[in-house]
Amino acid sequence: MFKLNLKIAWRNLWKNKGYTLINILGLSIGMASCILIFIFIRFQLSFDEGYKNEDRIYRVVTDWKYSAYEDFSSGVPVPFAAAARNEIAGFEKVGSIVKRNAFLQINDASGKEKMKSQEAVYYAQPDFFNVLSDIRWIYSAPELALAEPNTVVLSAQYAKKFFGSVKEAIGNNIRLGEKITLKVAGIIQDMPQNSSFPLKIVISYETYKGRFNSNWDSVNSAFCSYVLLKEGLKAEDLQQSIANFNKKYYPVNKIAGNQENKLQLLRAIHFSDKYDNFANSSINRSQIYGLAIIGLFLIITACINFINLSTAQSVTRSKEVGVRKVMGSKRSQLIYQFLTETFVVSLAALLIACVVTELAIPTMQHLFRGRIEFSLFGHPSIFSFMAILVIFISFLAGFYPALVISGFKPALAIKNKIALNKGGLSLRKILVVAQFAITVTLIVGTLVVIRQMEYVQQKSLGFNPSAVAMVGIPNDSISKIKYNTFKERISKLSGVNNISFCQSPPLSSNINSSDFTYNGVKNKDFELRNIRADENFFKVFDLKLIAGKLYRKSDTANGCVVNETFLKKMSITNPQEAIGKVIVTSGNTVPIVGVVKDFNDQSLREQISAIAIFPGKNEYWNVAVKIDSKQIAATMKEIDEIWNSTFPNGVFDSAFVNETINGYYESEQIMGVLFKIFAGVIIFISFIGLFGLISFVATQRTKEVAIRKVLGASTLELVKMLNGSFLVMVFVANIVAWPVAYLFVSKWLAGFAYRIDISIWPFTLAMAISMAITLVTVSVRSYKAASANTIDALKYE
Amino acid sequence: MIQLTNIEKYYASKGVKNYVLRLVTTTINQGEFVSIMGPSGAGKSTLLNIIGMLEEPTYGNYYFMGEDVTSLNERKRIELYRNHIGFVFQAYHLIDEMTVYENIEAPLLYKKIGSAERASRIADLLDRFNIVAKKDLFPNQLSGGQQQLVGIARALAAQPSIILADEPTGNLQSAQAEEIMTLFKKLNEEEGITIIQVTHSERNAQYGNRILHIADGVVKEDLAVKA
Repeated sequence: MFKLNLKIAWRNLWKNKGYTLINILGLSIGMASCILIFIFIRFQLSFDEGYKNEDRIYRVVTDWKYSAYEDFSSGVPVPFAAAARNEIAGFEKVGSIVKRNAFLQINDASGKEKMKSQEAVYYAQPDFFNVLSDIRWIYSAPELALAEPNTVVLSAQYAKKFFGSVKEAIGNNIRLGEKITLKVAGIIQDMPQNSSFPLKIVISYETYKGRFNSNWDSVNSAFCSYVLLKEGLKAEDLQQSIANFNKKYYPVNKIAGNQENKLQLLRAIHFSDKYDNFANSSINRSQIYGLAIIGLFLIITACINFINLSTAQSVTRSKEVGVRKVMGSKRSQLIYQFLTETFVVSLAALLIACVVTELAIPTMQHLFRGRIEFSLFGHPSIFSFMAILVIFISFLAGFYPALVISGFKPALAIKNKIALNKGGLSLRKILVVAQFAITVTLIVGTLVVIRQMEYVQQKSLGFNPSAVAMVGIPNDSISKIKYNTFKERISKLSGVNNISFCQSPPLSSNINSSDFTYNGVKNKDFELRNIRADENFFKVFDLKLIAGKLYRKSDTANGCVVNETFLKKMSITNPQEAIGKVIVTSGNTVPIVGVVKDFNDQSLREQISAIAIFPGKNEYWNVAVKIDSKQIAATMKEIDEIWNSTFPNGVFDSAFVNETINGYYESEQIMGVLFKIFAGVIIFISFIGLFGLISFVATQRTKEVAIRKVLGASTLELVKMLNGSFLVMVFVANIVAWPVAYLFVSKWLAGFAYRIDISIWPFTLAMAISMAITLVTVSVRSYKAASANTIDALKYE
Repeated sequence: MIQLTNIEKYYASKGVKNYVLRLVTTTINQGEFVSIMGPSGAGKSTLLNIIGMLEEPTYGNYYFMGEDVTSLNERKRIELYRNHIGFVFQAYHLIDEMTVYENIEAPLLYKKIGSAERASRIADLLDRFNIVAKKDLFPNQLSGGQQQLVGIARALAAQPSIILADEPTGNLQSAQAEEIMTLFKKLNEEEGITIIQVTHSERNAQYGNRILHIADGVVKEDLAVKA
């Protein structure tokens, strides 16, 4: 029976090649998009999976509650680990790990320099690996390799990169910075891409210079502690002991902002907004849900096509149904038969979808800069997903049509006198409206995302970042002596307009903020962002002073410039009033000498912070070089040469401020591209569905069209008549979609402190686009129907 | 009014020509009531369709009111439908979604006749055919004979000079058939409308004044009916 069903299904599909093609095309593209989304989501959800103690492994994080705002850090104070190990009984193991950047140099056997590079290194205690005990050690063990100072553990990949092979690497030396020589004492597995711990070079914690810091008030987000709870314990069980711990070490009268430590589950790290991670790869759960919803939309749209086309087509099958019923077929058998057909179509669509997915994977990988593993056969769950997808679609798309078709009355069916729900609000119309509401929502979304990204790129930031290169400079004492020579040599280059020693460009996510005292009064409402830069900083970035003057050239803080936001937050209306007042912040006591016009100091998602800019030679990490825009390439090369001859032991590293700023919007840009792709896909699916539907309507109304033609209707009048209902449906869909789209869009925009106003135009444009495409799609077919040969339709019945 | 010269129609299938009409030559004048008769498959309907410009002949010349139809473009043909030709079908071919009133109104809308005149013409027709009470009903609420009356009323609404009827009584009981044929005769005699009908029934043919017998695509006989 099944075999026969399959054969009949095949013949029927072949007979209606056009409809079959539309069905399979729409379904396969929808499926391909869904599979891609699934691969992406599975990858994201698989982060840090597979640790056998995963429900006992926690990261300790730090929170602050100021009266005006809250702050969060993924780090802990340096003395935390030692204290917690002794005082919190529920911790079985506590391991610290710090991420730092370092210059590494590898020499060959004769002592000659073989390779040098700047790398992210991790200083870790052996206990860190006892907490994450599933990280495999290829050679040695945590206690053996990381207990002593000056030892390093490499991942297998890096052992090969540095020394050619794992064997060569063991026992060999790596130079860290100027003075320290590290011995390779262990090799660990390469960490997978779906890990929040991209550990490649792990140095023993005993080598870390800052390990004796005993300040409980200072937290660096790169200094983390991971803990393993005792068997059978959960985070809630430790609440009391952690509360006691917080009370003891963060007394309110001594430490600002109600500082406290909390536990964060290992598997939550990747999905955390508030706290960073080493891999810089966190993703918001709402983003994942958003994508899942888009995937669901795609499948629903494709299924709607299928349902509409099958019910439409069913009229042509009515005779078959009638005859089968007369011959004694049960309704359930008919349903079974039609479901078989849907199943065949879904399966065919799946095959095509696999091909499409495979073709799309390189593009996707490119979009995510290769940071995400896309592979069709990468994980068994992808296969189960595909199986579920086919079954789901077969039922969703096949069941209703099967029900309708199998319900035909045999006497009428045999005479082909079946007419599907004339007039009224048929299910088909509702489905089309739903489909187009989804499409229009996505079009609006896409338009707004594109518009906001344009706005972000074009908005005046209050400073001029163009043609400014940030060149990293070493921070050790020997190099500091050479700063002036370096500056002099670079200033002489013809392509260099101006240079400034500073920490980072005016807009930077590298934030250093602290509490402060203004005019002798300690402030408790907000923190002051400290930017250290020399006096040229203002000229290089074209920052405008609105009151006072710049500080004098100095190596230490001799005066500071604050921004307008600072005045606003302090409720100072006259900028002159602030001049001369003294600020104490992060150990510097400086008078305010000037006020700078506000500039955006963070991405446009954030409001402008209160800022104080003052000099401080000991904390310059970069040189900002304003280059003549016509000579950029040549000048950068010259700077590179001078740099290397001045700082022979460092690695030259530079970035253009413009590009760095754009980098802050990478996730939005990726989202923009994804939106464009999926909007395109959904538009495509919807419109081929529409084409299928108008084909059906045209066929169903052939007789009416012919009669009207004989009565004297012109082709144009007939086309108008056939198009009318479709335009109305798409119009209604637009009206339905607008409020939904408005909600989505305003929610997304709310994430930006600086954003476009939601105007009517994306909505009207979406309507214009959808109506225009509808008109074209529908007219193609209805023209054909209207100009068809009349007599064929008016033959005897 | 209608002048057919050597009309031929065939369908080529796999290189074999299946002739439906062969060398049909005839003239039909204004005011005639012609019945086309013949066995099934003789080509009666095809001939009527060609006269009604629903099909094109493969060869031959066709002049309708002095105009060469074979070279007529779509716009002109629609003009002829609107102003000169009314069709009546065996299966009535009323538009199911429209009421009796609306069905009759349809051709007038295409002819772009003002609403006042439309209303008066429709009222006139409904009155004449005694279907005033039925004007708000849908076709499937009427009997076959009544539907055909609506069909004829619709054909007359545009005030055509010729009515082409393909087995107008084929689906009707004899009493209703008689009523329709009487109506045709009356229209022909009183209003001078040319009527061409295809029919199987010798009795119906007697209502007209001329009979064309066709067999195997050829006109076998052309008789005048004795009154």
